[in-house]
Amino acid sequence: MGIQKDRIKFNVGGRIFETTATTLANAGRNSFFGAFFDENWDLNSQFFSNSNESFFIDRNADCFSILLDLLRTGDLNIPPNIPERLLYREASFYGLLDHVRSAKWGPFDGNRLRLDQSVTGQAPGDGTAIRAGPDGGCCVAHGSMVHVYDWMLEEHPPINLDYQRVNDIGWVDSDNVVISVCERLGSRDGGMGLFNASTGELRFKFQVSHENQVKSYTAGALSFSSDYKIFSSCKGRSNEYGVGVWDQVTGKQIDFFYESPGWSLGDADKLQWLNGSNCLLVATLFPRKDNCYISLLDFREKNMVWSWSDIGAPLTVDEKRVRDAIAMEESNSICVVNEYEDLGFIDLRISGGSVRWSSRSRLMKGNMPEEPCYPKLALHEGQLFSSMNDSISVFCGPDWVLTSRLRRSYGGSICDFSIGGDRLFALHSEENVFDIWECPPSPII
Amino acid sequence: MSNQKKRNFQIEAFKHRVVVDPKYAEKTWKILEHAIHEIYNHNASGLSFEELYRNAYNMVLHKFGEKLYSGLVSTMTLHLKEISKSIEAAQGGSFLEELNRKWNDHNKALQMIRDILMYMDRTYIPSTHKTPVHELGLNLWRDNIVRSNKIQTRLLNTLLELVHRERTGEVINRGLMRNIIKMLMDLGPSVYQEDFEKPFLEVSAEFYKVESQKFIECCDCGEYLKKAERRLNEEMERVTHYLDAKSEAKITNVVEKEMIANHMPRLVHMDNSGLVNMLLDDKYEDLGRMYNLFRRVPSGLLTIREVMTSHLRETGKQLVTDPERLKDPVEFVQRLLDEKDKYDNIISSAFNNDKTFQNALNSSFEYFINLNPRSPEFISLFVDDKLRKGLKGVSEEDVETILDKVMMLFRYLQEKDVFEKYYKQHLAKRLLSGKTVSDDAERSLIVKLKTECGYQFTSKLEGMFTDMKTSQDTMHGFYASHPELGDSRTLVVQVLTTGSWPTQPSVTCNLPAEMSALCEKFRSYYLGTHTGRRLSWQTNMGSADIKATFGKGQKHELNVSTYQMCVLMLFNNADRLSYREIEQATEIPASDLKRCLQSLACVRGKNVLRKEPMSKDIGEDDAFFVNDKFTSKFYKVKIGTVVAQKESEPEKQETRQRVEEDRKPQIEAAIVRIMKSRRVLDHNNIIAEVTKQLQSRFLANPTEIKKRIESLIERDFLERDNVDRKLYRYLA
Repeated sequence: MGIQKDRIKFNVGGRIFETTATTLANAGRNSFFGAFFDENWDLNSQFFSNSNESFFIDRNADCFSILLDLLRTGDLNIPPNIPERLLYREASFYGLLDHVRSAKWGPFDGNRLRLDQSVTGQAPGDGTAIRAGPDGGCCVAHGSMVHVYDWMLEEHPPINLDYQRVNDIGWVDSDNVVISVCERLGSRDGGMGLFNASTGELRFKFQVSHENQVKSYTAGALSFSSDYKIFSSCKGRSNEYGVGVWDQVTGKQIDFFYESPGWSLGDADKLQWLNGSNCLLVATLFPRKDNCYISLLDFREKNMVWSWSDIGAPLTVDEKRVRDAIAMEESNSICVVNEYEDLGFIDLRISGGSVRWSSRSRLMKGNMPEEPCYPKLALHEGQLFSSMNDSISVFCGPDWVLTSRLRRSYGGSICDFSIGGDRLFALHSEENVFDIWECPPSPII
Repeated sequence: MSNQKKRNFQIEAFKHRVVVDPKYAEKTWKILEHAIHEIYNHNASGLSFEELYRNAYNMVLHKFGEKLYSGLVSTMTLHLKEISKSIEAAQGGSFLEELNRKWNDHNKALQMIRDILMYMDRTYIPSTHKTPVHELGLNLWRDNIVRSNKIQTRLLNTLLELVHRERTGEVINRGLMRNIIKMLMDLGPSVYQEDFEKPFLEVSAEFYKVESQKFIECCDCGEYLKKAERRLNEEMERVTHYLDAKSEAKITNVVEKEMIANHMPRLVHMDNSGLVNMLLDDKYEDLGRMYNLFRRVPSGLLTIREVMTSHLRETGKQLVTDPERLKDPVEFVQRLLDEKDKYDNIISSAFNNDKTFQNALNSSFEYFINLNPRSPEFISLFVDDKLRKGLKGVSEEDVETILDKVMMLFRYLQEKDVFEKYYKQHLAKRLLSGKTVSDDAERSLIVKLKTECGYQFTSKLEGMFTDMKTSQDTMHGFYASHPELGDSRTLVVQVLTTGSWPTQPSVTCNLPAEMSALCEKFRSYYLGTHTGRRLSWQTNMGSADIKATFGKGQKHELNVSTYQMCVLMLFNNADRLSYREIEQATEIPASDLKRCLQSLACVRGKNVLRKEPMSKDIGEDDAFFVNDKFTSKFYKVKIGTVVAQKESEPEKQETRQRVEEDRKPQIEAAIVRIMKSRRVLDHNNIIAEVTKQLQSRFLANPTEIKKRIESLIERDFLERDNVDRKLYRYLA
């Protein structure tokens, strides 16, 4: 016959499109087109018998053409005159949102990052923390509020826990976030809560109890383990000081690493669960305390298996103080950074070792910005990221060579950043703005 | 109304939020509801998918998700209630068919409804934590159909009834059954388990309880097992045909428990058909079946093994202790081998070569073989018999198998050194009399013994072979250096190394003059070629061929022992000789001489001598004559010596004593070896270690070990600890 059997014509909002059933099959069964072609609907016979008949869809033609291209080539090209929100709405109608999301940006590589956009919020004051979600969204904490954005950067209802000051946030999964806040004196308020990321409703409040009595507490830094545990540094008023452990599934407190009040664990700046060694890294740093303390806790035996502190270390002229720390299990070391963005390394195999500062020092004394931010570290798939003032440096290789620097002109210093869902989010301290960095899709050839 | 009119004329500021037509939701829902009706009524061909999808989309978009969802629930429930009625109305056999048909309809409808409501399923349902459309449809089906009052028990009873009918031999519609069971599984594992599997297992247990009782009353064990096996296979087949694969373990458990585990002792001990009878009658098939079935239940194999072991020990004990059986050692060993073969066959063909059964067999044999202290002797005699005559015309492989089997029995022996003693004696006789059939077979057995017990065990045996070989060369050399003796070798000497051979009382007799001259020649030749050796004659072990002419001129060649030769040679010079004369002339020890004369004079057909008075026994006053009337149809006549092949009682005592004597240095050596490495050790540990070290040769007696320790202490090899008298110290 010469005419392809699976040719098909659509009239979308008045424009005629011609394509093939094969192209549309790329949409998958669980989509508008998948259902459309199912034999239950008995439409095939009507169509293919009369190839001049076109099938009407009451939708936007411009977006249809973009989505049809996406199904044909797997590439997403949004012309500047089409608002993304409109495209997302149309994709959602056809059940193609997942296709759009996976075509929008490529796999993460710190050296290929491009600025996608900046989002400006309304919250007053300095940002506290930003956390990337597993599927490309993020949440941002300012004061006592947490704003949640999905991967389309649509903002969802904001979250708060008794309007107490937020200390840390974290994604349990793509639907749920945990926030840790300060307690309010004389009440049961504060602590830690689990929220639905899309609706903002409080689903669970984590409790600390001691001798069967529920205690109020301030929750600090958070960490999650792959075996569904939540760790948080805790400060209660009667001895509940240390690191608490909860089960993500039941929400019950399952462990507590007690320490005397005034020591370092309950004030920790950073917790990091180490899968390989089954330990939790706890770092309490200057200026929260006068000295820096880093330790590894083994909860199975309830002991501190490794620790380091700069107490007694001679203060040098340029006063190198550890401002952030991150454990690197592959190389059995902890990477630390000081306020001049010098990287240093501590050997995890020797207890009581000292920091080996990297000689490749980038001294910035003298041209410090007016409102400096302390540096932060992140590790992602063998690449090390360090934020300093208004830029983020990327280090690669066994010797951690500086390979890229991400910088943008306004927004001031970066107070926090986070990597997840193949995106990097950087929160600036001024202007209440955060940037989304992502990799372009793979090259055409 | 008035308000609306007013609006027609008045232009208001646009201060309200634009709301869609309040009836919009109702209208849209009506369209969708209608579509759902049409779908359930098989009338969907006129529906436009795009329109329905768009309408459902718009309802969710305009925040009418809740209305859409609750509408779906109530509409679907309504339809299911109708379906439920039509299923209830189905009579008898069509009940399941109707249920199946409606289930297929519902599934198809559910898929189409889910297609229309896809947008709601993706967005509204997750954000409100409601049940997704597909799961909702299954839940509604479960609650309105499968678990409705009028269907739930009827469905269960119908299914169980069908299974029962199939068990009693009827053919049922398995396809329909499979579809219905599949439906229950699709509704979730808990529905399948609670609404079908649990009652099914209970009913099955009851069924098999009754049936097994019936069978066991009227069947013998083999038949019962056949039936149980068939039932088990039927149930497994049933699972593959129409049940959840996970049910297999559960239902087979039920059958195993009811049909096997509950009746195990009764089956095993069943009169005339139980396990013992199966073993006796070599019923491989039944045994195999019993093994395979009993293996499935806890302690099933243990039961079989215990009964088999006790039966084996009982029969084995009878076998080795029955005085009748002890008369013929070859027969005795052959019976052991047959018994071993029988059980090897049973284990390999019925018991899956189960290691635990092999171990049970081995330990049983070890147990009863050692009940009879003469077992080592008998086994050696059996080998002797085989190597003397039994292996003629048997292929090499068969020889190997026989030897391997003997080695198997040998392994069971605890007193391996006793066996060695006897084996050495028997081997010596074989070698010296030239009776051994196959050198290869002899050597092969020695290699086997060597691998089993080590070099030390066989070094002397090998020495015996070397002596035989060397003697041949020596004889060759002797005759070469004495050409005057001619080609006929009148004298053949075997030079035996003392120590390698069993010690024999060196009693020499007086050889006839012709012989002793020749012997002297050999002695001077031998001592001339080998300096520093001593040669003594073992006349009691030799043999001779002599030519004799009898009264009427009959000529015969007589094959006799050296002693017999000496006696016969005397008659060259005398016609009548008294016992005393013979004894005086030959100086043969009395017991040997008596035996020798007995064989010459008292054996019918071989009586080359005549005795006066005629009697069976040799008296000291008897007189002997050449039997002139001796005839034989053969030219060559072999005069055997009357020897007890088995040892006589005193000889046995002697051998035993010698064995005990030989053990002493071995035990002492073991003690010294152990103490040398341990320096200090307490009594019990020494006993244990010595027993362990020596068990490849014999089972050391603790009292004997104790005596040896005492003896070593006396000789200052060891000393007792001053404080702890149980401790011994090694004195270097």
